[in-house]
Amino acid sequence: MMDCSTAKSKIFPFVDGELTPELRDQLEAHLARCGACRRLVDLEVAFRETYVERLRPDPAPEPVREGVATLLRGLGEGRRAGRGWRRVERLAVCAGAVLLLVVGLGAGIALQSYTGTRTSLAELADAAVEQHQKLVRDLLPPDIKDVSPKVAEEWFKKRLAFNVSLPELKTERLHFLGGRISHLREIEVAALEYRVDGNNVSLFIIPEEAYRQLRLNDKPRFKVVSHRGYDVVIWRSQGAGYTLVSEIGDRACLMCHAPEEKLEPLPRPSAHL
Amino acid sequence: MDSRSEFQDLVHKHLNSLYNYALVLARQDAEDLLQESLVRAWEAFHAFDRSQSFKPWAFTIMRNAQIDRQRRRRAHPADAPLGDEKEAEPVVESPLCSIPLAPEDILLRREAVEQVREAIRHLPPLLREIVELRDIEGLSYHEIATILSRPVGTVMSRLYRGRNLLRTYLVEPPQRPDGKEIGVRNDGL
Repeated sequence: MMDCSTAKSKIFPFVDGELTPELRDQLEAHLARCGACRRLVDLEVAFRETYVERLRPDPAPEPVREGVATLLRGLGEGRRAGRGWRRVERLAVCAGAVLLLVVGLGAGIALQSYTGTRTSLAELADAAVEQHQKLVRDLLPPDIKDVSPKVAEEWFKKRLAFNVSLPELKTERLHFLGGRISHLREIEVAALEYRVDGNNVSLFIIPEEAYRQLRLNDKPRFKVVSHRGYDVVIWRSQGAGYTLVSEIGDRACLMCHAPEEKLEPLPRPSAHL
Repeated sequence: MDSRSEFQDLVHKHLNSLYNYALVLARQDAEDLLQESLVRAWEAFHAFDRSQSFKPWAFTIMRNAQIDRQRRRRAHPADAPLGDEKEAEPVVESPLCSIPLAPEDILLRREAVEQVREAIRHLPPLLREIVELRDIEGLSYHEIATILSRPVGTVMSRLYRGRNLLRTYLVEPPQRPDGKEIGVRNDGL
């Protein structure tokens, strides 16, 4: 025979309709002779009717709905084929034609070995490429668009706890599409979208201290790697880390440099990660 | 109807629930989690058993996605509702003598539904997740246990604690650091 203490512990599953038939029978037998417990059940039922049954999930905000609608429209569409070959072709044509200078570093540019951090670099490159693909396919819609880089810079500075410095557009071949706060390996980043000669380029800016979280022990000042058919350029400048993803080889330098600038030759990409 | 249209219809139908659960799991990162989960769900949709409910299936995918994200992040205490908590607390058998299960005071004060909703938002993450899944999403104990990969007894125990804490909040609202009450009125209106 069920006592009051046990009966009380069964009230929630009883009202939920989740008791086994055997336990339900035992509880109902107890309720038939115990007014105090029966009153508790009545109150619980009243509480459910008054409040719980009227609870609804938080409505998804309109930007979220739009983002999901865009994502759903993109589902099932295959990736464009042949990107890798076009990249190789472009690299061959452009090699030596356009040079690169790291933002704010000048003569300090140097390649550093990433021996021992290969995995971390691969993870960072992989995360950046994945984000780039989502940005290109509008699976991650921009938080801010149709503004100048300076306006976007101010927007990010109000929302991120690290210095975000966006280069001005130095050529009409380069267009700033927009940006959003996103995540690279769970680290909050400023994600920026550009178009160069009709090709998408993404730039991710992270706080320099995030390198510790990423376990990039050698903190490369400048590194070019080839990953999943993309060129991934990783560098540091003025307390921030930059990761650029493109398919257009040296032309991605136009993100930061005018076409007429004399730049050091772009290092050959490291072996595929 | 092709599977893509079917999937789109299901997502639109359950979008509020999916977004709400993403908020529970990831808070500020909810939108990214939602999008990643939908991509995963679509990739697995060919294996979805149409005799089952879509919502708990999608919730399971979302929760696993969040666990993966947290693993990648390597332990982030601010998002601790998943997976690593102490386990296997017994189902409480007789704690009610000292717990205000009876909601009579709350009924008399006629709280607004939104205030109850706000109180749920302030439950500890582990308890909030289960209260939301049961009392807002209407999932069964078994469905919740499947989503959480936990025994039904654990679900019952946490639901019990969460609901009682919710009722406690409604009687005595939790305080913000600035001393103001969080979202729950106690002015009798």
